[in-house]
Amino acid sequence: MRNILLLAVLLITVPAGPAFDVGKPKGIDFVLENSPTSQKYLVETMGGGVALFDYNNDGLLDIFLVNGGGLREAVSLPESFDRANPKYWNRLYRQNRDGSFTDVTKAAGLASAGSQNYGMGVAVGDYDNDGYEDLYVTNYGHNILYHNNGDGTFTDVTKKAGVAAGGWSASAGFVDYDNDGRIDLFVTRYMEWDTAHNKACGVAFRTYCPPGAFPAITNILYHNNGDGTFTDVSQSSGIASKKGRSLGVAFNDCDGDGFQDIFVANDGMEEFLFHNNKDGTFSERALEAGVALSDDGSVYAGMGVDFRDYDNDGKPDILVTNLTKQRYALYHNDGDCSFSYSSLQTGLAKLSVGSSGWGVGLVDFDNDGWKDVFAAQGHVMDNVEQIDPSMRYKETPLFAISQKGQFVRADSGATIPVAGRGVAFGDLDNDGKIDAVMTVLGGPPQVFHNKISGGHWLTLTMIGTRGNRDGIGARVVVNGQTEIVTTSGSYLSARDKRVHFGLGAATSASVDVFWPSGTHQVLQHVAADQFLKIEESRTP
Amino acid sequence: MIYLLSSWTLLLALAGQEPSPQATEHVQAGISAENAGQHDAAIAEFRKASELDPNFAAAYVDLGAVYMGEGKYEEATATLKRAVLLDPTILPAQDMLGDALLYQGYAAEAIPHFLAANDKGAMGSAQLETGDLSSAVANLQAGLAEHPNDPGLLFSLARASGLLSRQAKDALIAAHPDSAQAHAAMAQDYWSLKQAGDAEAEYRKALTISPNLPGTHLGLGLVYEGTRQWDKAEAEFHAEAKLAPGSAEAAYRLGNSLLENGKTRAAVAELKRANSLQPEMPETLYALGKAEAAEGDLQAAESALTQLLSVEKDSDLARQAHFSLAGLYRKLGRAADASREMKEFEAMKAADK
Repeated sequence: MRNILLLAVLLITVPAGPAFDVGKPKGIDFVLENSPTSQKYLVETMGGGVALFDYNNDGLLDIFLVNGGGLREAVSLPESFDRANPKYWNRLYRQNRDGSFTDVTKAAGLASAGSQNYGMGVAVGDYDNDGYEDLYVTNYGHNILYHNNGDGTFTDVTKKAGVAAGGWSASAGFVDYDNDGRIDLFVTRYMEWDTAHNKACGVAFRTYCPPGAFPAITNILYHNNGDGTFTDVSQSSGIASKKGRSLGVAFNDCDGDGFQDIFVANDGMEEFLFHNNKDGTFSERALEAGVALSDDGSVYAGMGVDFRDYDNDGKPDILVTNLTKQRYALYHNDGDCSFSYSSLQTGLAKLSVGSSGWGVGLVDFDNDGWKDVFAAQGHVMDNVEQIDPSMRYKETPLFAISQKGQFVRADSGATIPVAGRGVAFGDLDNDGKIDAVMTVLGGPPQVFHNKISGGHWLTLTMIGTRGNRDGIGARVVVNGQTEIVTTSGSYLSARDKRVHFGLGAATSASVDVFWPSGTHQVLQHVAADQFLKIEESRTP
Repeated sequence: MIYLLSSWTLLLALAGQEPSPQATEHVQAGISAENAGQHDAAIAEFRKASELDPNFAAAYVDLGAVYMGEGKYEEATATLKRAVLLDPTILPAQDMLGDALLYQGYAAEAIPHFLAANDKGAMGSAQLETGDLSSAVANLQAGLAEHPNDPGLLFSLARASGLLSRQAKDALIAAHPDSAQAHAAMAQDYWSLKQAGDAEAEYRKALTISPNLPGTHLGLGLVYEGTRQWDKAEAEFHAEAKLAPGSAEAAYRLGNSLLENGKTRAAVAELKRANSLQPEMPETLYALGKAEAAEGDLQAAESALTQLLSVEKDSDLARQAHFSLAGLYRKLGRAADASREMKEFEAMKAADK
């Protein structure tokens, strides 16, 4: 009997075959047009945002994909990326009941992305608490805030909202940093770069320039005023005190003080951890916290990031993807926002030392109660093999199963190497298992439909009443596992806002919700294998 | 090289030469001009002295020194040849003449002058050019014993050793092309060119012929290590460590590969063994510190890293050790120590820039 039980556990924790059906669902005809040139404009290799969100509240996740734009060898000023051409549109695909998708871009009012904008990423959040998820699209150029009108259409409200930013924006995310019940907006910016000041890099072969070839730039924090407008508080909050070459951003409360902290992945320089001082300001303390550098004290090419508890000790950890030879950096939260590098002992170093990573997530794919790792992979340089034959431009994604915090490579089902970039996570078919959508430079997105069997689950939709409606920032503890309500993280991408827990063999769960408003809500004996809406108690 | 003038004149005077007072005045004027950076004036003064007293060796030495400083080796050669003809016991003149000849490619002609000057390092450099590699290595090592870390000597020694090694490999491959040793030698060559696939294939051939050939598993492991194939590297280092249990390098490499593979407990054991085989090797101590920290034994990690810092203070490893110690102390709640180590780390990082 004992042997049979052990075998059952093994079946749950190590998928026997490919974990996902990999493909492109019916109706999705998107191609990420990055328009590579011989000029090696850096923007060509950096794009690829994707969002999974339910824009029409029909209970099915829809897919929004950010396109690049048309680039010519010689770009003249003012820049134009031919975004009026449907080939370069961003696309919204509405999911149908049969799992197919319908392109609703034009009808939704999302076709126009601005001719001077080369597309990068996307953030999702209900910034006006009207019950419909809004979209924020980042660009090299100016960013666009699309208000979800609730009738299947969106309206560009950027000008009124005052969130156009400018320059080269990368990842963005909604976060209620001051717990005032309205989600604010954080925007990373990559560098001071424009096509007119592109540089020629490389010796034997022209390559994309390293980030250090261009000046660093500040990130932006917009405070939500609650009236459809935002105020740029980058200076007053301390966010602009540091210049970075920032790509990824993720939020969590690393010291359990009830306020969201911000981790920013920087490319080729020290990472940032903006600690929330609870008074509307932040202090950057990545170095003191042990998350600025690798274990050897070296900078690395920080790309994507996730900020979650991988070892179920209740404290959020940080995972950052980077380039070949650097090893993805996993920082274990030892408490009070103090971290130690744990890539080696968790096995992640070995799994990532030969790869270059972008979008990433700590997600429990096999519903065993431990978060696994999925990362889009592919080198920055499309000619990297000519420079170093041991490196690869195109790769399959990393999929690693967690065995109680130790990561072991597993078969994702992807067989064809691609230049992966953004990844968004969510339960596309509402079967209780998390799927992934990965963007591919110069190609169609890959949808990873989860087919791992076994393990009970619980998926929660949070509805804030005293705080922000999405419950963004709420900490949820289920059977000893801790999650954060967020759509942010990964690279340029936005995940399903629902909170998913794998329960393993447990058929019921106890649920503790710590809302940003301070409300603590407890649910006992919650049945497994269901989608449950939890509305915030209206009294503390 | 800086060629000083006045001391030779003095030495010559002490040796009993009696140049004419006029010639001596011109030599002194030449020395003053040279020290003032007036090279043309110095040359004119030394020439005048040698015209006034054609047997005044010091005038030729000083003139030759100015030419050497100016990079005029042909003129220096003629002048210094005259000097050593007049007085072969002037060792600096012999040395400079050897240099002048060597710079112009006349290595064989330079050797007797270096021999006369008893300048072993320079002689080794000349022998390197003539192809007498084993003598070159011996003399360059002797030269380095007298002038440790001299960059020119180190460069020549590296070249000579490499060429000697190449000669031996060529002879091995020519005489025994199908031997395990020849395949291992070819593997090393491929790997030095970063041709990992060819290097791996040659090492495999060597191991097929002679599975226990010393150093071969280590070499193959280094290829895997360099291409980040840590599982395979671990297997090869393990095989080498089994064949050569007394090899500190094999133990270190195995320990490090175990660490990279996330086998931290086994890494600690192997790195401790490496440290006992060759104590105080900085690479071993650093890896041991990392492994102990990963295993959660922070005191042991601190011990390894502080031991490293006692033997190495200014290297990359020392900088990394300070960074690691800062993390350890932070975790141990020793804020002041963490702050101190972080300051050390940042200071070293700033110095690197």
